[in-house]
Amino acid sequence: MISAPDVVAFTKDDEYEEEPYNEPALPEEYSVPLYPFASQGANPWSKLSGAKFSRDFILISEFSEQVGPQPLLTIPNDTKVFGTFDLNYFSLRIMSVDYQASFVGHPPGSAYPKLNFVEDSMVVLGDSKEGAFAYVHHLTLYDLEARGFVRPFCMAYISADQHKIMQQFQELSAEFSKASECLKTGNRKAFAGELEKKLKDLDYTRTVLHTETEIQKKANDKGFYSSQAIEKANELASVEKSIIEHQDLLKQIRSYPYRKLKESDLSAGEAEHTQEQAGQASTTSNPDEFADTEIYTSRPAYTPKLIKAKSTKCFDKKLKTLEELCDTEYFTQTLAQLSHIEHMFRGDLCYLLTSRIDRALLKQQHITNFLFEDFVEVIDRVVEKQGSTSFEPSRDRPPSRSLEECLIPKVLISVGSYKSSVESVLIKMEQELGNEEYKEVEVTEVSSFDPQENLDYLDMDMKGSISSGESIEVLGTEKSTSVLPKSDSLTSLTVPLSPQVVRSKAVSHRTISEDSIEVLSTCPSEALIPDDFKASYPSAINEEESYADDNEGAIHFQASTSSPDLREEKEGSVENTPSQTDSSCCIGKESDTLLVPLPTPAHKLVDDDGVVNIPPQCYRQKDQGFHVDFAVENVNLSSQGNSSESFPPYELDPSCLLASRDISKTSLDNYSDSTSYVSSAASTSSDRTPSSLHPTGPSSERHKKRAGQNALKFIRQYPFAHPAIYSLLSGRTLVVLGEDEAIVRKLVTALSIFVPNYGRYAKPVKHWISSPLHITDFQKWKLIGLQRVASPASAGTLQALSRYSRYTSILDLDKKTLRCPLYRGTLMTRLADHRTQIKRGSTYYMHVQSMLTQLCSKVFLYTFCHHLHLPAHDRETQELVASRQVSFLKLNLGLVNEDVKVVQYLAELLKLQYIQESPGTSHPMLRFDYVPSFLYKI
Amino acid sequence: MSTLCPPPSPAVAKTEIALSGESPLLAATFAYWDNILGPRVRHIWAPKTEQVLLSDGEITFLANHTLNGEILRNAESGAIDVKFFVLSEKGVIIVSLIFDGNWNGDRSTYGLSIILPQTELSFYLPLHKVCVDRLTHIIRKGRIWMHKERQENVQKIVLEGTERMEDQGQSIIPMLTGEVIPVMQLLSSMKSHSVSEEIDIADTVLNDDDIGDSCHEGFLLNAISSHLQTCGCSVVVGSSAEKVNKIVRTLCLFLTPAERKCSRLCEAESSFKYESGLFVQGLLKDSTGSFVLPFRQVMYAPYPTTHIDVDINTVKQMPPCHEHIYNQRRYMRSELTAFWRATSEDDMAQDTIIYTDESFTPDLNIFQDVLHRDTLVKAFLDQVFHLKPGLSLRSTFLAQFLLVLHRKALTLIKYIEDDTQKGKKPFKSLRNLKIDLDLTAEGDLNIIMALAEKIKPGLHSFIFGRPFYTSVQERDVLMTF
Repeated sequence: MISAPDVVAFTKDDEYEEEPYNEPALPEEYSVPLYPFASQGANPWSKLSGAKFSRDFILISEFSEQVGPQPLLTIPNDTKVFGTFDLNYFSLRIMSVDYQASFVGHPPGSAYPKLNFVEDSMVVLGDSKEGAFAYVHHLTLYDLEARGFVRPFCMAYISADQHKIMQQFQELSAEFSKASECLKTGNRKAFAGELEKKLKDLDYTRTVLHTETEIQKKANDKGFYSSQAIEKANELASVEKSIIEHQDLLKQIRSYPYRKLKESDLSAGEAEHTQEQAGQASTTSNPDEFADTEIYTSRPAYTPKLIKAKSTKCFDKKLKTLEELCDTEYFTQTLAQLSHIEHMFRGDLCYLLTSRIDRALLKQQHITNFLFEDFVEVIDRVVEKQGSTSFEPSRDRPPSRSLEECLIPKVLISVGSYKSSVESVLIKMEQELGNEEYKEVEVTEVSSFDPQENLDYLDMDMKGSISSGESIEVLGTEKSTSVLPKSDSLTSLTVPLSPQVVRSKAVSHRTISEDSIEVLSTCPSEALIPDDFKASYPSAINEEESYADDNEGAIHFQASTSSPDLREEKEGSVENTPSQTDSSCCIGKESDTLLVPLPTPAHKLVDDDGVVNIPPQCYRQKDQGFHVDFAVENVNLSSQGNSSESFPPYELDPSCLLASRDISKTSLDNYSDSTSYVSSAASTSSDRTPSSLHPTGPSSERHKKRAGQNALKFIRQYPFAHPAIYSLLSGRTLVVLGEDEAIVRKLVTALSIFVPNYGRYAKPVKHWISSPLHITDFQKWKLIGLQRVASPASAGTLQALSRYSRYTSILDLDKKTLRCPLYRGTLMTRLADHRTQIKRGSTYYMHVQSMLTQLCSKVFLYTFCHHLHLPAHDRETQELVASRQVSFLKLNLGLVNEDVKVVQYLAELLKLQYIQESPGTSHPMLRFDYVPSFLYKI
Repeated sequence: MSTLCPPPSPAVAKTEIALSGESPLLAATFAYWDNILGPRVRHIWAPKTEQVLLSDGEITFLANHTLNGEILRNAESGAIDVKFFVLSEKGVIIVSLIFDGNWNGDRSTYGLSIILPQTELSFYLPLHKVCVDRLTHIIRKGRIWMHKERQENVQKIVLEGTERMEDQGQSIIPMLTGEVIPVMQLLSSMKSHSVSEEIDIADTVLNDDDIGDSCHEGFLLNAISSHLQTCGCSVVVGSSAEKVNKIVRTLCLFLTPAERKCSRLCEAESSFKYESGLFVQGLLKDSTGSFVLPFRQVMYAPYPTTHIDVDINTVKQMPPCHEHIYNQRRYMRSELTAFWRATSEDDMAQDTIIYTDESFTPDLNIFQDVLHRDTLVKAFLDQVFHLKPGLSLRSTFLAQFLLVLHRKALTLIKYIEDDTQKGKKPFKSLRNLKIDLDLTAEGDLNIIMALAEKIKPGLHSFIFGRPFYTSVQERDVLMTF
């Protein structure tokens, strides 16, 4: 309810005016602007343009006893920064606020001057006419030659935005306090040194005077003192007094309270230094007394000189500079700290505030941060380090170690065993082992996992796997898809098969072929794909499921998954392993895609609830059902010419296809490895120019901007950006193939923003590699820039690529093609819309970041949703749980088609990361699946 | 200063204020710059306490210093500048509002200050804007009063032929007292009832086993959605303090720690007054089951407000930022004009304005139903209850949700910044923005815009063109692009 008295006064039936309100009676100076932002130029950014300086800067000013307030230096020391801004006037303004209220000098009733260790004052003030506002940090330094021994200084952070200062007052205050402490510590040191010298001078003077007096005494035989002798005696007394005064001052400066040092955040060196002294001193005396002693003692030898007893208070003397007052080392450190402050608070307030909120929120989600965040913990640590040791300029720099150097995921077992872990799947499919034998092998593998053994017998598998490149491409134009052109998917990548490879294919006994039907398309969307192919897509995508569920030929799979004995055995094999999950992590089942982790994590996927994760075998068994050898007679209508190479006859045997059809009772398309569609549309290849190579270190703003820019270019220029990004997000390694290193690196850097991390420290991205790819590369890297060299010597590189092409997506930059699985979800559309009006790379990067955060949120929910991963009752089978999971992903998280796989993959990464014994040492894993690939072309 | 100034005297008029709770405020002062004597203190307000923390002499010393350097004052006409001091030597913080005014025939500089112990720095900083906004407005009114008083005094001097120096300028003090006391009360109430920086999710609705356990699902969705659409500014009223506070804490989960510290829980027995400028505040209904919201103060809040009644599960919201600011400004101008035209002191008493402005009629129906549905909060609420309570999973999920919102807000700002070349060009493509940033649901856009407004003030007014368009009108206009 709204109270009446407030409104009665204004209640009237008039309507809102359309014109600005006009009230001549009230002087404008007493009124308020109707449009508060109009006075600043009617936009939220223009308030910064009213000031005479271009950006924030730091000003150090002094209240000089000779000339009054004066500016000393600015940071950055660039006249362009403060422009026409009147530093003299502003110094006068900020220094006229005298808050060093404490008395310094001769207090009434005190014989000697007294030093007060005044605390700093902080003031925020402004000059609204000039549009300048400042955080001013007042401090006092000691100077033996100054009036009252003090020199008032201030450091001011000057900005055009007052809110920026007030909203970050505590941070500014903390940072400037560090700088001030540094200056003051150096000053105490210098002041003590000055006093020591003075004392030595006075002592020497006293000795000289004393000697002179004695001489005069001896020379005096008249019985009375001459005026000269009296003068000498007075001078001597004055020197004596001065000595006592200076000794007292020295004692005062040395007894600077230890607590103050402790409270203030000093440089590491000094803090340690001081603590050591305190420790030493505590055995003998009060630590406060000796806190600074050592700082002030180690000095070079000094030759005393004769001085006048009374200091001259002349105004023509040259005052010490700030550097002289504070000791050069400390002064330099202070400047470094001030530069750090200037850098820290530079820029628009909204970005500073958001980054602060970001950091706070990210701290609360350390579980998921590793996926897409830019090494948050590392950065935080650096920031903390900077905070504590910010006086050391060198520490302000980011760590110099390159990430590629230090952040490569640790490989725990030999290369050979990795090979075997993948290729074993293939060889088992080839070898006509009986069910029982096969089971035995598998169980042994899971329970013992002897790398050496695997290496031995899987080496054999490798040979077999080389021959697995058979494929059938269906090439056609958008309009004429009824005639299927013949093409080898590998030839589209310009990877001719070597005779050796062919030979080994010929001798292999594989019952499965990686045949493919490729539909090359200008557009990844289903809408433009001819109807003939459309119908086949769902079955092609769901081939794993269809095998698992429908394929009668998949006897190994059926037997394996339905065998309770085997399951018991599996459970037994992992029973003894200690549980690594806690109650909040409850995933009890592997996703459909296969993750082959290293032995250690593989044995840990059991949760507290006793849910046993299905080990990777079941996926292999699915593949066992993939006993399909088929081919179609390809008719190449492509004008591209790159698919003109014909298949070897054995690859194109129609009878194999028919046979396979009979066995699998599925359509050709269902079991095609890849389908691509060639369009005759003109290429819209990007006009890329070589750029400087990007470091792989922590993402700087510049790096983000460039990555975003290039990613934006990529999604605009390549119509198949969606499946490429889908590959990255679903854990399928994407190889970017190209001749020009700069272009490849540029694109790899751009695409790396979509690559989920394995661990907390590095993205699994290899920007450039020229040697042949090895299986371990796929384990380590999810995005690889690969050099294409025309020379015969480099054939090995491409051969290796062709060998693994079934497990990888390949983006050929030279030919502008992409071979990868089909994507029909909606996530990528929002993430990488080629029609986006986003103009800048940095903005696009931010957009991607927010979308990926949204995705992470879904992944987190899916991973840690208890009821989703545990059987609702004892009789609920794993299949039912799995279908419940998929339905949750689709209905509750709104995921469509392949988007489900993205979340499932990321959930697997999350789960593995979560159950790691020591976070951050995430073991690489090799992931592969037999999803059909398609060839996209521009 | 002219002869009309009171003679220098160490004795400064003082008003002692009795507060029910602990007062973090040490004193408030009103000082002016005397052209002969320099800074002088005119009046002191201090809470009535047994232990004197700051003597009058010290207060005077500090207050004098607030005007130090103001002889160099270089301000725009009518500006009220804010100075903020942290004086470690004295262990105090001082907030001073410096302004120029005409008083007793001379133009001079004045300072209204509040003094707090330095230990209250982190308590005070989140409330700085609230205090400054409120004191600024009373200064605007006080300035007019001073100006008018001078005219009246001159007339009286001419008529009566005598100078009644002791009466000069005294009447501004009661006016300032009228706002200083509420500010003291506000700080006192915040000391005892402010929401803590860290909120235990167990004390909120988000800890329920399932959505709808504590309150109706639709109500919760509306409440959070509208709360976010009105920049996190909400008033929660109800008959049960426990119920009110649970919703207050729930809404505060969606705020930053600093904003939480600028929010207030409901008092168990009696109700606090509504305070303009707090983010979330719980208010207890009286025995008749109603709570009267002061229209003027609701209008003067920096952001529009969501009104949530936990008894009847209703959620109402004020118009979006730009409309709210426009209405607020018009109301302020009307109020100041009414002051300007007031003919007697009675007319100028703060809460009994009788003058009617001819051209402005505030719309009393400032609270309206939540019209725009969102997908962001809905999805969040649909999903968060799937996570097991009590394992910090929901806190993490909430943090992710907030991170998404903040990142989207920043992306939106950057998008507009790019599109308009930092405001140099008008923004024309709201439709593109919505599609590009996945904010096609109107409620989603409102939430993100509201968040963006907080970190980039003026964004609403800038984007939605002419600020006095209603939210409906502006959409019509923008959709034509």
